[in-house]
Parts: sequence; C-alpha cells; structure tokens
Amino acid sequence: MTLTARPVEAPPGDRATAARELPVERLTSSADRRRRFRVPRAIARLSGVVVILAVWQLAAVTGRLPRTFLGSPVDVARAAGHLIADGELPAAIGTSLHRVLVGFALGLVVGVVLALVSGLSRIGEDLVDAPVQMLRTVPFAGIVPLLIIWLGVGELPKVVLIALGVTFPVYINLSAGIRQVDPGLVEAGRTLGLGRLGLVRHVVVGAALPQLLVGVRIALGVSWLALVFAEQISATSGIGYLMTSAQELLQTDTIVVCLVVYALLGLLADLVVRVLERVLLPWRQTFTPDDAQGATR
Amino acid sequence: MTATSAPEPTVTRTDGAAGGELAVDVRGLGRTFGSGTSATTVIEHLDLAVPAGQFVALLGASGCGKSTLLRVLAGLDGGVTGDVTVARNRAVAFQAPRLLPWKKVWRNVVLGVPGATRETALAALREVRLEHRADAWPGTLSGGEAQRASLARALVRQPDLLLLDEPFGALDALTRLTAQELVRELWHAHRPAVVLVTHDVDEALLLADRVLVMAHGRIEHDVPVVGDRAHGSAEYAEQRGRLLGWLGVHDGEAS
Repeated sequence: MTLTARPVEAPPGDRATAARELPVERLTSSADRRRRFRVPRAIARLSGVVVILAVWQLAAVTGRLPRTFLGSPVDVARAAGHLIADGELPAAIGTSLHRVLVGFALGLVVGVVLALVSGLSRIGEDLVDAPVQMLRTVPFAGIVPLLIIWLGVGELPKVVLIALGVTFPVYINLSAGIRQVDPGLVEAGRTLGLGRLGLVRHVVVGAALPQLLVGVRIALGVSWLALVFAEQISATSGIGYLMTSAQELLQTDTIVVCLVVYALLGLLADLVVRVLERVLLPWRQTFTPDDAQGATR
Repeated sequence: MTATSAPEPTVTRTDGAAGGELAVDVRGLGRTFGSGTSATTVIEHLDLAVPAGQFVALLGASGCGKSTLLRVLAGLDGGVTGDVTVARNRAVAFQAPRLLPWKKVWRNVVLGVPGATRETALAALREVRLEHRADAWPGTLSGGEAQRASLARALVRQPDLLLLDEPFGALDALTRLTAQELVRELWHAHRPAVVLVTHDVDEALLLADRVLVMAHGRIEHDVPVVGDRAHGSAEYAEQRGRLLGWLGVHDGEAS
C-alpha cells in the first residue's frame, strides 16, 4: 500500500472552498532506507556466553581463580578430552542413562496404570486418587533413607527413586487429562454408536494424549534430578560416582564436565519429547505451535 | 470422566426400515431436572408422532425444552418418564460440529460404522462437497466445512431419523444459506425423517413440512407448512406472521 499526497479538489459546486492539501503520511517503508549490516541473531545471542567464558579463563590464567576452587574452561575441556579418551565418561554416561531409562519406564507404566484406574471409573478414583495425592506432597528425595533401609545400596534403590519421581507427574497430568475430556465429544461418540471401550479408544485417548505428554516432559526433568540424588547413594559407577570421586581429589574440572553432561542429557530428553509431540500429535501443530509457548524448563 | 455414563435411556427402538411407520413416537413424555423443592420441569405430558420421511421443524424460545426433547430423541437423556420410541437407525448433527480433532476428517465421518472404508467416507463427503478435505485435520476446517463434515458423518449412517440441533446457528449468514440448501438436497435424496431444532422461523418455513412450536414444556402448536415457500408470497408472509406471533414476536417488526 502506498499513500501519496494529492490535493483534494473542491467539489465543483462549492466555489467558496479553495483546493487544499490533505495531510497524509506514507505507511510503507521507503526504498532508500539504509540497509545496515547486522550480526545474525544466533551469533549475537552467544555473545554473553563468550564474555563469561573469557572472563572465567582470564581469571584462571591470572591466578585469581585457583584450580582447586574452579578449573578454567580450558582445563574443563582437557578433562573432558581425557575422560572421553580413556572411556571413563562414556561408560559412566551409559550406566546413568540405563538407570534413568529403567526408572523412567517403570514410573511411566505405574503412573499410566494408576491414572487409567482413577480416570475411568468412579470406584477407581475413590480408591486411588486420595492416597496418590497425599503421597505426592512428600518430596521424593526425602525417601532416600527408607529406600536404603529397604533395598540396600545397589541398583534397585536408584531405579526405584527415579521411578517414584516419574510416577507422580505422569499420574497427575494423565488423570487430569482424562477428566477434562470434552463431554460434547463423548456425547457425539455415543450417538455414533461407540460403546464404552470405543469411547476410551477413540475419544479419551486422543483427548488425554497431549496432557500425558506434558506429564512425560515434566517427568523426564524430574528423572534427571532423581538421578543426581540417586547417584549420591554410594554409587560405584555412573556420572554421580565420577563426580563424587572427583570431589575427593578436588578435581573441579571433572565435576564441571559432569555438570555439563547432565545439562546436555536434559536437553536431549527435551528434544525427545518434542519429537514425540510432533509424531503423536500431528493434528495439534496446525494451531498450537510448541515454540510459541516458550521453554518450560 | 464423563464416560461414566448415565443409564441407557428407556428408549424402545423400532426397526425404522418398515415403510409408513413412525420414526418418532412419543407419549406422555416428562423430564424434570433436580429434585425436591429445586425441581424444574422442562417437559411435561408431551406427545409427538413423526412419520417416516417427514421434515419437522421444532421452534421455540430459549429454554422452552426443545433441545432437551432432541436429546431425549437422540437417546442421550436417561432421566425421562413416559414412552419414547424412535427409529433405531438415527444420527445427530449438533450445533457445534463435535468432530474429534485428532482424527482426520474421513475417519471422523466413518467413526463407529462397522466395516466402513475410506471409500464409504469419501462417498459421503462427496455428497456434502467436501471430498477434497478428506485428509485434513478438523482444526483446519472453516465453520461451514466442519458443519458439512458433521452432516456427512450423520449421512453415512443412512439414518431413518436425522436429528439436527440448530446446526446452522453458528454459521455466518451466507454459509448458512448454502448449508440449508444442502440439507434440503440431502433430505430429498435420502428421505429420512428429520427433526430440526431451530429458533429461526424463516429456516423452519424454508425446510420443513411441518412446524411445531414448543412452549412451557409441551408442543403448543403443530401446523403443516403449505403453499408457496417463496419469500414475499402472501401465504409465506401469513404463516411467518402467525409463527412469530406464537413465539411472542408481534407486528412483524422483524423484516
């Protein structure tokens, strides 16, 4: 659209009014606007990180930051190189990942089953919901002493702790999702001749799936947290063990490497959920782009 | 969740296929919500018979019980008294299209139809001129398209009784005209009995053979639509004026 000034002619019959200029403004951008060079946004956003790394490195090099307090970025990179080269880090990641996967799977199954029982029948809701809501208020990490008494210090308490952390967000979100199914759709399903099983299969599952994935996303975050707690229980392998032994030797660089690994794995988990949402909820992408909602972590 | 359903309504079903029979036979219907002092009676001593193939419009002011009656006929309301017999083969189109957003349009159309294929769905979609949107997600349809998909979903069941609950209410004026024309066409092609709930007198006169006016929980007026349906004809104007009068609008102030 281009608006240009044009004198407004006085109507022919009205000679008293002289032709006058109508005040206008141009709303489209003019072609001669200067195009300045711009740093790509992705690079610009990294500048803060670069500054921090530079200051950190500088502080280490000038001796203001003793290595026993915090290793420099270069030290951290070197430590990472060593840990990867001698296979210690990949092995630790493998062990930790295995714990998270088993614990997560266990928690997911328990959470889904409980939510189905509670969401699909009145009796189930009465039986399951109140106890689960009560247990939910206990911070799961506080159960560690009991778990050690019950299950010792092997793999089992670690996996169970992660499973516990996962069960609750899955349960809460899925059972809410089931209860929030649009009654209009259930009614429509009934007029279409769907029985109880058909309603669950075609209406409830579809309606509750987005909410389940919200639960899964939260649960993945929690499972990582639970892993950190679990691996403080006298672990002899895994990322947590790597950190504990580094702590005894004041190897701050190794600890930082482990923290970075935790962060990367968390990022990876988020990516997995995004892919899952894309695959399982293709119908939603048309009107709720996930990226528009911003990060949830 | 809501699937913990109300008990199956006390609806006896006839085999609607038998010719010359009633698609709807309601005797002494009553429906009361709540109990004790807070009880509200929405329908009382209502009788209604709709022969197979007839197009009936059910008019009435908001809250007169017409939607409740439609829900009873659809078998969605279990708390009624009296005798209700309706064609077993029936379909409903609601005011909101109520398509499942997570199923593609064609899957919505044949949902719950045993043995139905994509071809079955496409044939029904072709009839409502929506074949090209068969693989779309319902969330991407316009209001008119979604309502047509909902009609195709009703049609594909080859109902003997088609229940329409203000299906054009949420459409814009132009889309509504097209949709009304489509419903008339489909009725001519398939000849189900139709009960159309509406509060639009013109729509009732345009589509129906017979108009019922509901008030105070019963059918107060029951008249056939006769003569020239064209706007502007004397008969049309007279019927319109009378119906509006029954609905409490006088003097023909609405154009």
